[in-house]
Amino acid sequence: MARKMLIDGELEKHSEEETRYDFDLFVIGAGSGGVRASRFSAQYGAKVGICELPFHPISTEVIGGVGGTCVIRGCVPKKILVYGATFGSELEDARSYGWELNEKIDFNWKKLLHKKTEEIVRLNGIYKRLLSNAGVKLFEGEGKVVGPNEVEVIQLDGTKISYSAKHILIATGSRAQRPSIPGQELAITSDEALSLEELPKRAVILGGGYIAVEFASIWRGMGATVDLCFRKELPLRGFDDEMRAVVARTLEGRGITMHPGTTLTELVKTEDGIKVRTNHGEELLADVVLFATGRAPNTKRLNLEAVGVELDKTGAVKVDEYSRTNLPSIWAIGDVTNRMNLTPVALMEGTCFAKTVFGGQPSKPDYSNVPCAVFCIPPLSVVGLSEEQAIEQANGDVLAFTSTFNPMKNTISGRQEKTVMKLVVDGETDKVLGASMCGPDAAEIMQGIAVALKCGATKAQFDSTVSGPTFQSLCSSLCFSAFISFFTCL
Amino acid sequence: CVLRGCVPKKLLVYASKYSHEFEESCGFGWKYAAEPEHDWSTLIANKNAEIQRLTGIYKSTLKNAGVELIEGRGKIVDPHTVDVDGKLYSAKNILISVGGRPFIPDIPGSEYVVDSDAALDLPSKPKKIAIVGGGYIAVEFAGIFNGLQSDVHVFIRQKKVLRGFDEEIRDFVGEQMLLRGIEIHTEQSPQAIIKSSDGSLSLKTNKGTIDGFSHIMFATGRKPNTKNLGLESVGVKLKENGAIEVDEYSQTSVPSIWAVGDVTDRINLTPVALMEGGALAKTLFANKPTKPEYRAVPSAVFSQPPIGQVGLTEEQAIKEYGDVDVYTANFRPLKATLSGLPDRIFMKLIACAKTDKVLGLHICGEDSPEIIQGFAVAVKAGLTKADFDATVGIHPTAAEELVTMRTPTRKLRRTPSEGKTDSEFKAAAGV
Repeated sequence: MARKMLIDGELEKHSEEETRYDFDLFVIGAGSGGVRASRFSAQYGAKVGICELPFHPISTEVIGGVGGTCVIRGCVPKKILVYGATFGSELEDARSYGWELNEKIDFNWKKLLHKKTEEIVRLNGIYKRLLSNAGVKLFEGEGKVVGPNEVEVIQLDGTKISYSAKHILIATGSRAQRPSIPGQELAITSDEALSLEELPKRAVILGGGYIAVEFASIWRGMGATVDLCFRKELPLRGFDDEMRAVVARTLEGRGITMHPGTTLTELVKTEDGIKVRTNHGEELLADVVLFATGRAPNTKRLNLEAVGVELDKTGAVKVDEYSRTNLPSIWAIGDVTNRMNLTPVALMEGTCFAKTVFGGQPSKPDYSNVPCAVFCIPPLSVVGLSEEQAIEQANGDVLAFTSTFNPMKNTISGRQEKTVMKLVVDGETDKVLGASMCGPDAAEIMQGIAVALKCGATKAQFDSTVSGPTFQSLCSSLCFSAFISFFTCL
Repeated sequence: CVLRGCVPKKLLVYASKYSHEFEESCGFGWKYAAEPEHDWSTLIANKNAEIQRLTGIYKSTLKNAGVELIEGRGKIVDPHTVDVDGKLYSAKNILISVGGRPFIPDIPGSEYVVDSDAALDLPSKPKKIAIVGGGYIAVEFAGIFNGLQSDVHVFIRQKKVLRGFDEEIRDFVGEQMLLRGIEIHTEQSPQAIIKSSDGSLSLKTNKGTIDGFSHIMFATGRKPNTKNLGLESVGVKLKENGAIEVDEYSQTSVPSIWAVGDVTDRINLTPVALMEGGALAKTLFANKPTKPEYRAVPSAVFSQPPIGQVGLTEEQAIKEYGDVDVYTANFRPLKATLSGLPDRIFMKLIACAKTDKVLGLHICGEDSPEIIQGFAVAVKAGLTKADFDATVGIHPTAAEELVTMRTPTRKLRRTPSEGKTDSEFKAAAGV
């Protein structure tokens, strides 16, 4: 196949020297992982090229944007909407603190949507500048792997250009999946949910994971009626069971109607909205139905099978501990490898990749004690093992310390919502194996705890830390209890 | 803490923060038909109900522990005898934990001044208030009254607020306070308060007189409550400011008499008093002599925006460790990019260049106090910058900044110069 080397618009003859690649590294996908890997590799002296699909808030197989899911249709816009929604309950609580507000305060969804879009466009521009400042060459178009050292980019006008690269990094991320339920075309996924023209008055959400739970909180906070349908008895499968129950209670307390053990069997368009039928025979009416039933790696159009790159049965690229595929010159990081689908983990994988391949320091990403947060309202944040995991993995006894209390702010507002904090401790070594919290500011609070946990801090070390006048003060003085304890101070 | 300190202060801070939240919410689509107004009496009534409830809880806690509570004024008669309103009680050990009280300098017109106790219970909200003082109490009340829409003027003797805090934090919080509309009058010492015929107050300082205040508050320090306790006659040694002198076990100069908390003027924070009390109980009754540990005690200032800190300031770190690496971040949080408000967050991490241990953390911005607590465990445990960096961030948060600081802003190295006894510093520009 003829290779065309396009450099500064001029065609150059194929060099007679030893094999010279166009790039030391070519990255497919300019999301969290791809951008990090590109920049850091370039900093180590590598000549880096990266391609990304054209920008739009709603992704398709051929539409994406620099910044990736996190910046354009994930973490960032999500958090913006959570902020927007949280104000709702804040304003309610303000009254007990003496503020005189109207009965109903107007919420202009279109204004928030507009500002959200402004922000993601701004960030998209910043990510482009980050790449150019690092000397990384950005190509707009769809990338495919053509050979162990060759990538083909289909430009917007349809022309295909090939680039040779010593190393190829696949960082194409993942996309929301739609279950094949009759009428599924009437439903939306998170992409659309983040860019809806109108705020739904009635929302039905199918899913029990963090995306489902976060949108339930967002729409409820903005005044919508929300029905959350999930297959298990509790949402957030995989998290600590006790904390899952806390989240379920909190969501219910906020007015979200929970439907455990429920799937949707049919969606039908009616004059009154979308009629949704559940497996219990129940019928719900909605303006919006959100499918938040999982995301799948973006590997279908990459031509990987033809090249011989192994995928697992979910379609994720199989990699070793260094993020290398079965082909020595092809690597993969981020959601496309379906390890831990979090931006900071993709960043870690990208950093390790750059160090390994160009920094001369083989580095394996460390997946132990990675903290994360679910931004329902109020949020859940966790690090380390759940109680169930600890019991499974520990040799001896496992101690669970929990503290359930009404946060100070609620004492005046009268909001009946408890904050729960939990530490899971190894009975033999006193090491804190896991920590979790459901309550306001949980994510901000958990970060520092994650540092201590990562380094093997013991419960005694937690206890010896003097506390401050915050929620957190209770963590250092949790009362021992096998199940639940009640801390009555403040 | 419960009646006229930490708790009511925090409730008032919550109340006053809402005005900023109303502003923020506009950027997120919320719209108010009219500008929200605040009713001070509702707040104070609810605040008082809450502290009454807590008093009840504290009484129950004592009762449930089998402690006999005697209401009255206690006074020491001899090393084993306490007098409470005329009745005598003998004790093997006596613990003095009477705390401290606001101090107001004796200047002309000081009778018109309110202290923090009174400020928490004013009959009406100040229209225009002068707050004299630059410490945490002054700064917190400035934020409270400003948030509740009073016209706030702070008068400080120094050039910046919060003497003793990290210098960059002092600069940052001062700037943010100005941006919120608080006026800070620097290098001014109060000389007199004058009440005019219309009832308004004027504050005379070394720089001039400002009129028109509805209230003048002095937050000029707190002194230990040791007057009239019979201490001098029983032989308990006091420091110059009236604080009770104690050893590492909180024992006074009289072996059967002990003291903890603000009355000993060590670190005047509730959790430290709790630590001192807990350690004393262990020492006296669990047969486990325990010294309270004062290293890496975290604390917060509930200014707006608030401050969270643990460990050494940059100035202290340089003095104690010599070679330090300083990492800073100064950024606009996500919320502010939408609200359009000039809110920012400042973070500083100080690491020992030799051992990589994190010596101090200082943050100023929304949620700083909540963020600092977990990190305080790490700092107390002696963790290193490398440990911080190995921890994956929680996204999106402000806190994740503290585990993603890659490049030192400055590397400070002590270069000993020949022939001189003092060391010189060479600050290398950040690499």
